[in-house]
Amino acid sequence: MPISDITILCVDDEETPRTLRKLILQKQGYQVVTASSGMEALEVLKQTNVNLVLSDQMMPGMTGSQLTQSVKTMWPAMPVVLISGVNEIPKDASCADKFISKIGGPELLFDIVAQVLKDYGILAELDHKTR
Amino acid sequence: MNDRDQANILMVDDQPGKLMSYEVILRELGENLIQARSAREALDQLLRQDVAVVLMDVSMPEIDGFELADMMRQHPRFQKTAIIFISAVHLTDVDRIKGYRSGAVDYISVPVIPELLRAKVSVFAELHRKNRQLERLNRELEQRVEERTKRLQENEDLLRERADLLELATEAIIVRDLDGMVLFWNSGAEALYGWRREEVLGKSVHQILKTRFPNGFSDVERTLAQAGKWNGNLTQFTRDGQEVTVACRKAMKADGNAVLEINRDITTQLKTEDALRKTERLAAMGRMAGIIAHEINNPLEAITNTFYLLRDHPSLDEEARYFAKLGDEELVRVAHITRQTLGFYRESEQPVEVSISEILDEILELQARRMEFHNITVDKQYGSKGTIWGFPVELRQVFLNLIGNAVQAMPNGGTLRLHVFNSSWRYRQHPEVCVSICDTGTGVDPKHAKHLFEPFFTTKSVKGTGLGLWISKGIIQKYGGTIRFRSASFTGRNITCFKVRLPDANIQSFANSKPAAREVAEILGASNAHQ
Repeated sequence: MPISDITILCVDDEETPRTLRKLILQKQGYQVVTASSGMEALEVLKQTNVNLVLSDQMMPGMTGSQLTQSVKTMWPAMPVVLISGVNEIPKDASCADKFISKIGGPELLFDIVAQVLKDYGILAELDHKTR
Repeated sequence: MNDRDQANILMVDDQPGKLMSYEVILRELGENLIQARSAREALDQLLRQDVAVVLMDVSMPEIDGFELADMMRQHPRFQKTAIIFISAVHLTDVDRIKGYRSGAVDYISVPVIPELLRAKVSVFAELHRKNRQLERLNRELEQRVEERTKRLQENEDLLRERADLLELATEAIIVRDLDGMVLFWNSGAEALYGWRREEVLGKSVHQILKTRFPNGFSDVERTLAQAGKWNGNLTQFTRDGQEVTVACRKAMKADGNAVLEINRDITTQLKTEDALRKTERLAAMGRMAGIIAHEINNPLEAITNTFYLLRDHPSLDEEARYFAKLGDEELVRVAHITRQTLGFYRESEQPVEVSISEILDEILELQARRMEFHNITVDKQYGSKGTIWGFPVELRQVFLNLIGNAVQAMPNGGTLRLHVFNSSWRYRQHPEVCVSICDTGTGVDPKHAKHLFEPFFTTKSVKGTGLGLWISKGIIQKYGGTIRFRSASFTGRNITCFKVRLPDANIQSFANSKPAAREVAEILGASNAHQ
């Protein structure tokens, strides 16, 4: 699947980081849809054809790892990447495919996302461009 | 028997008429008169009671007087019993009577003169009474001596028990006179201060221990004089120059001529408490770092992403793009610093892949300014990344300790040499990562070498907790690794090397282990509660 056909669901309760994350992923060539909470994300997933979920860990209501568990129950083949600004890896985060730091920079985020997509056979090796 | 007790007087004669007349003669003496008709009867009476005088007729049928006297003398009880023979004056009798050289023996010739008989019997009765009295006094005296001896023995036992107790005490127990001269020094004092009793007796206790008083010695003296006792903490020095803090109790002896002193070593206790406080402070700092990290990381990501978008935005001219690039580069630095100091993943529960050479580089970066200031050059030789499974925070602690010590040892410059290489020793089952950290600093005093890895050992007096190397060793051992130390000196230069070996990858050993920092805190907590 070419990168321009891949849709990423970007979840964050805060608008600015959510939008910025969407913009850099779009610049990389991905299609991006957004949700401002875990519940909203699950709604979007029901209606839209999404290839990967990228969610913040610390959100009010449903945390990133709780969202991951719901997603994996309903769509077991859906890759999920969690991103966090906290020091600790929460105990229940292991259900996500990757757990990364917010301060790794855009390149690290692209690498991880591409790697996970490749692992799921969604992104072919040839389509992977880091920049 | 007292002075007025009657003495028993045994009269032996085969003729009742004679016995009757002796009784009449002797009655006025007021003694107890006993009659016996034969030698056999006399012996029977003798055995039954304590007889003072035996008055006997020499000529009796069957056993005569001499034979009876012989029998009596053979028995130890009657050897000294007084005997008065009554006989007709035959020369032979007199000779035989004189033959009794020992014992009280006398004779009276017939016809008996009543006054004479009375006088002789009375003398012997009196003698007997005096003897008995003497014996009684002797017995009493002996008993008293015995009681006294027993009491002395008990006292001595008590004293010995107390002395044993004094020796058993782990506290230093000291008695000194008013001039400070040591009069007593128990084995607790020997153990605490390293001075043997015979070395300090008669010497000034304050000079030997270089005691420092919180408010001066005069304050102690005044309190002792007024209240009779003093309590407080003192700083003293052992024989080999180690500083110790003791909780001291002093009391003036009852006679006012000496001071009793009990000192308990609380150095370790104080250090443990201090270390615990530091651990708590570190934990609080860790929690704080977590909060700050979260607050900084979120906007940091947003700004980084903003600059990423701005960096090559088509609407910017070249100069604006250059500024955006500068901002982006600076942000990378900020991200790097927060990651290092606020440590992402710092309390991960699972071990992760850690590169020792990366950890060393991180530490070098943190120490860079200090090393530059002290003119220290770094010689890095990384033969590999030195990747092992572990907890980054613990490994960082180990190497921060070792590098920190090395840097501290070189206040006037030197070379810090760091080697990392993999070794797969033939004899070892698992490949290992070897790390050596060497400095050309002040070196390690050989007498300190064997204490280096002990808890609370420090040569930095005020600055060091003395826990660094101990904790480091504990962490390394937890990883199944080893730490060795060598210090050599040649051509006027000291080289101190710490060599750490860590198993390359052994995830299993971590399955149930706790992070070392927590373990250390537990140990400290436990030993503190123990104190």
